Amino acid sequence: MEFKLEAHRIVSISLGKIYSARGQRGGLKLHKNLLVSLVLRSARQVYLSEPGCPPEPPPAACGPPEEPPPSPPPPPPQDEAGPRLPGAACQGPRPRRCCCGCCCCCASAGGEVNREAARPDCAAASAAAAPPPPHCPRKRSAAERGQAGSPVKKPRREAEEPPPPPPPPQGEQEDMETGNVASLISIFGSSFSGLLSKEPKGRRRPPLDGGEAAAATPAEAASEPGQICCDEPVLRTLNPWSTAIVAF
Amino acid sequence: MAPSPLPSPRGRWVPQTDHAFDPPPSLPVGGPPGDNSTVDWCLYQLNGAAEFEVSEADIISTVEFNHTGELLATGDKGGRVVIFQREPESKNEPYNQGEYNVYSTFQSHEPEFDYLKSLEIEEKINKIKWLPQQNAAHSLLSTNDKTIKLWKITERDKRPEGYNLKDEEGKLKDLSTVTSLQVPVLKPMDLMVEVTPRRIFANGHTYHVNSISVNSDCETYMSADDLRINLWHLAITDRSFNIVDIKPANMEDLTEVITASEFHPHHCNLFVYSSSKGSLRLCDMRASALCDKHSKLYEEPEDPSNRSFFSEIISSVSDVKFSHSGRYMLTRDYLTVKVWDLNMETKPVETYQVHDYLRSKLCSLYENDCIFDKFECAWNGSDSVIMTGAYNNFFRMFDRNTKRDVTLEASRESSKPRAILKPRRVCVGGKRRKDDISVDSLDFTKKILHTAWHPTENIIAIAATNNLYIFQDKVNSEMH
Repeated sequence: MEFKLEAHRIVSISLGKIYSARGQRGGLKLHKNLLVSLVLRSARQVYLSEPGCPPEPPPAACGPPEEPPPSPPPPPPQDEAGPRLPGAACQGPRPRRCCCGCCCCCASAGGEVNREAARPDCAAASAAAAPPPPHCPRKRSAAERGQAGSPVKKPRREAEEPPPPPPPPQGEQEDMETGNVASLISIFGSSFSGLLSKEPKGRRRPPLDGGEAAAATPAEAASEPGQICCDEPVLRTLNPWSTAIVAF
Repeated sequence: MAPSPLPSPRGRWVPQTDHAFDPPPSLPVGGPPGDNSTVDWCLYQLNGAAEFEVSEADIISTVEFNHTGELLATGDKGGRVVIFQREPESKNEPYNQGEYNVYSTFQSHEPEFDYLKSLEIEEKINKIKWLPQQNAAHSLLSTNDKTIKLWKITERDKRPEGYNLKDEEGKLKDLSTVTSLQVPVLKPMDLMVEVTPRRIFANGHTYHVNSISVNSDCETYMSADDLRINLWHLAITDRSFNIVDIKPANMEDLTEVITASEFHPHHCNLFVYSSSKGSLRLCDMRASALCDKHSKLYEEPEDPSNRSFFSEIISSVSDVKFSHSGRYMLTRDYLTVKVWDLNMETKPVETYQVHDYLRSKLCSLYENDCIFDKFECAWNGSDSVIMTGAYNNFFRMFDRNTKRDVTLEASRESSKPRAILKPRRVCVGGKRRKDDISVDSLDFTKKILHTAWHPTENIIAIAATNNLYIFQDKVNSEMH
């Protein structure tokens, strides 16, 4: 169980690092952000694959990021009251199902997660909990996708796949977020309002030509004056995070 | 061609000249095996402001001896390069032997702004590499994140006097005052060191340059960023050849980046590059123009019992150095240094623990970003001892022959001039001896990332934040 706690903590630390990396002088450091995203991914997988994951909440829990749901997103009926420690109100062993619904990945408990199989798919559904907002066709453009340079954009691709919205993954994500809202607030702080207000500006950025342009993709990720480009993948990737963010 | 400013930017200079000693001989560092374990290191020189006066721009970011050891170059975060020159042996002032004095200081790189990407380009000097000396001038390459520059350092100690048409200040003379002709003569003058940028190799890199390496052919050099390695000719700045490209077609598939690279010291066709996954790739430029396919891959399988969230981070290689012999490679990852035999790809031939007591603290080190620190490593001249830095201003040396290791500290308090450095010990609980320091008392803001070893003698340069320590073998400094 302590693995889950630690994984949880590591995920929030990693998110904070990714967020603050965008403001760094000299541009995004590709190496460091790659390592942080690898840690983030493995911590998340450990968290999700640990026994004691909360049971599935109702499907209505998830909403598009633009519509701020009543804070926090409607929790599953069983628990979620207050800061929720992972596993605190475990309703019993969950089926060893991956968040994306496929049974193949996250097969091993807590420890050795088969990342090769898990990576594309696990990240997929977790990230795709909510459909991308309709008024941003830019996210769908292949050119854009090809330019995602920052490692944090890695799960974004999966997010663009038609999101299979099985309730279980959303539930887990939301459990994480409600338990994590306090740390999210501390991480993102007062920049939230700036984050949200700049979001449309980031989306209106015209798609650049194909990914081979000399423009560094990770640099592009941080190229907006408001450096918002990373927000989208971050938000989309961890969509339940974003609903919590939006809530605040 | 302005002369370089005289004063060192790093504050007061503390020369150690309190007693006379004979000129140090040029002892071959080799000697019988095991000789180096009895080396006593003592502080020779310390350059830098006291620590409470540190400004970020003064933090040293790279240290490099030239091929003879006569010159020592340091680069800092403010984009400046300071070159020290060793005083030559002189019978007149025996106690000044081997002292490294400031020879030249110049601003190598300035902060730039990439308007297209709205990105600031840091002026921090990432690496300096000396070119082998081919004439009276010295040359070095210095690089920041994006641009490599070739600097030529020349001395001027004579100037022509007695021009017919110009006066002493260089102003044109009134021709009516010229009544006779004279031949200008060269008169001695105070030594002036001039540094000029001879080449600027720009726009070669999209990502951040992490290493440069001059080829043994003395005509080409390579520069490596996170995803690509370029080969340049020293005389040609508008073109470079890309020899390694590990950028995936889809950046979301990115799993590994290049962390360091170096040419083989003798074979001009071979080079090695290290990755963030802990592997080394030896490439042969004769095999193909694009060396994406390695000739040899050096990789050690991970120890499953050590698996943690941070296994990948700590396996990332931060530095790779060929031995002087060219037979071995030295790599540094977060917790260990490893010696690899070029002929064996499956595992290193030697592994040394630098600070294994940190293994249980990886999560905290991740939180405070220390886990991303990139330590360098160095060989001594005979390849018998390897050295690397650690935290709390400690640095470690490992004798490959005797298998003994020592931890020393670079600090003002514990380094009296000419006093022998006392070995330090980090205790991890259990029996604690006097003067031991516990793991929890280590100062993680004091890190020794950059170290350099003189090519032939037992002289080491240690960069501790903004201070440059030069330690010398006591025997070396007192012989004769």
